[in-house]
Amino acid sequence: MSSLRIFLIGGLTSYRALFTWLTPWILIPSFILGPIFQILFFAYVGRTAGVGSDSFFLIGNAVLYASIPCLFAMSNTIGGERQHGTLPLLLASPAHRIPLFLGRALPVIINGFGVSAVALVVGALLLQVPLPLASLAPLALVVAVATFSCTGLGLVTAALALRVRETAVLANVVFGILMIFAGVNVPLDALPSWMGSVAAWLPLTHGIAAAREVAAGASLVSIRTDLLVEAGLGALYIGIGLAMLAWFEREARRRATLETI
Amino acid sequence: MAVIEVKDLTRTFRSSKGLFRRNAREVEAVRGISFSVERGELFGLLGPNGAGKTTTIKMLITLLLPTTGQASVLGFDVVAHPREVRRRVGYVFGGDRGLYDRLSGLDNLRYFAELYAVPPREQRTRIHELLELVGLTGREKERVEGYSRGMRQRLHIARGLLHRPEVLFLDEPSIGIDPVGARELRATVKALVEHGTTVLLTTHYMFEADDLCDRIAVIAGGQIVSSGTPDDLKQRVSSGPVVEVEVYGVLGGVVDRVQGLPGVRSVVVEERGQAQVLLVHVEPGAEVTQAIMSCLDDARVGRVVTREPTLEDAYIELVGTP
Repeated sequence: MSSLRIFLIGGLTSYRALFTWLTPWILIPSFILGPIFQILFFAYVGRTAGVGSDSFFLIGNAVLYASIPCLFAMSNTIGGERQHGTLPLLLASPAHRIPLFLGRALPVIINGFGVSAVALVVGALLLQVPLPLASLAPLALVVAVATFSCTGLGLVTAALALRVRETAVLANVVFGILMIFAGVNVPLDALPSWMGSVAAWLPLTHGIAAAREVAAGASLVSIRTDLLVEAGLGALYIGIGLAMLAWFEREARRRATLETI
Repeated sequence: MAVIEVKDLTRTFRSSKGLFRRNAREVEAVRGISFSVERGELFGLLGPNGAGKTTTIKMLITLLLPTTGQASVLGFDVVAHPREVRRRVGYVFGGDRGLYDRLSGLDNLRYFAELYAVPPREQRTRIHELLELVGLTGREKERVEGYSRGMRQRLHIARGLLHRPEVLFLDEPSIGIDPVGARELRATVKALVEHGTTVLLTTHYMFEADDLCDRIAVIAGGQIVSSGTPDDLKQRVSSGPVVEVEVYGVLGGVVDRVQGLPGVRSVVVEERGQAQVLLVHVEPGAEVTQAIMSCLDDARVGRVVTREPTLEDAYIELVGTP
């Protein structure tokens, strides 16, 4: 019961407490305008260069933008504690760490999903990309799984915040890597093969591929492999993130790094 | 059995600087301290900044691993059973940080109540009880970012008490609190001890330690230099009484003349408003008041008081600061 409450109530409370972007002045430009600008930019570049389609850029960039809350808000779950000076209190508490940190991921997944959904709908309207009604539910599922997977990577960056001071820089670097490697604006088969190999292990790669197929009318059954791999990668990253959190917490007690700001 | 048992505890910090040529540095923050605290006791840890007080507390609340030595709280080893220790202890530290600024005071308490597994049915009552105790009733729905330093400190105290800890660690809890708030805090701490809570307190305010602590350990340079009851410590001070003479216009040479009197250990002049106060530390057994008065020539003299050494006098002598 206690763990469930920490997962649900604690997760939501810490999201409100630590994610400093939750003001209209940051939230609207970062979560609504940013993705739309990026979608339009690449769609018009694509049109000018005569490569790709509006749908390709719309889906790639809309799903990519889920990673902004997934990476930044997750990093903030530890980095923000450090900034507030609450990290020692959190780690001196007897709360079980798995529900404590997984609970922090839940609002982030919902946030990431919302960002992608708004970007998809507004981008589709602006670029007049038809999204068949029948594809909306499967598309939502794919975006949810991609967001979950990316939040797993966010948990890894959050764990690093127990060791390094500046997590926003790291989140920016990871965002850049995803944009280049995950097939967002350049098809995977156009990338060097080593980049394709790396992409296969990154979150979003399989989700974006699946989302494009679903938007083109494919059924969930036909994209199940991509969907399962994306979910599996999410679980893998969450496992790595939790293991790193446990390791760095022990190291922080040994090396006295908790209160470094 | 002692509630807190510390044996030969040490903690060394290693740090290194430089990107390519790493210069490693080691600081021994705590150097083999031992002490024990009995149930229901209020134990003070006094010492200058950097003496190792906070490091000791952090080892006892499981935030830091000791380098060597052993420590247990309520019978649980702080290294082997950290979770058992965490469930049973509370930790309050001084200063502005350590709260979620964007949340209300109430939400801060609710969140920590969840972390400490305070049963949902009890949470509401317990939180309101504590808000009442620390005088924040009516302000609990405001965001903490708008709280004064004193209000933040009182919220810290409420947070530390949410789960009714058996042992409470107070690390300079009265920093930033106004005199009225500090007095209320002392009353709260006394009430907790009366109800059986064991408290380990660090403070820089000697009157606070004198007023509250059953026993005190003075720590300097990572080592305990003396311990005992406040009265024990005062009696161990080698200096005798202090003669305080209020003078309006101390003339040149007076301090040197008083300093030269037989039985006088040291003389300090303090400015208090328009007057100066000669603080004359006297050898035990020496009677120097008349001799001091004769040194003051025609200066206008106000109040003359002879007092016994305070805990502050003892502390200053023990930690070696003039």
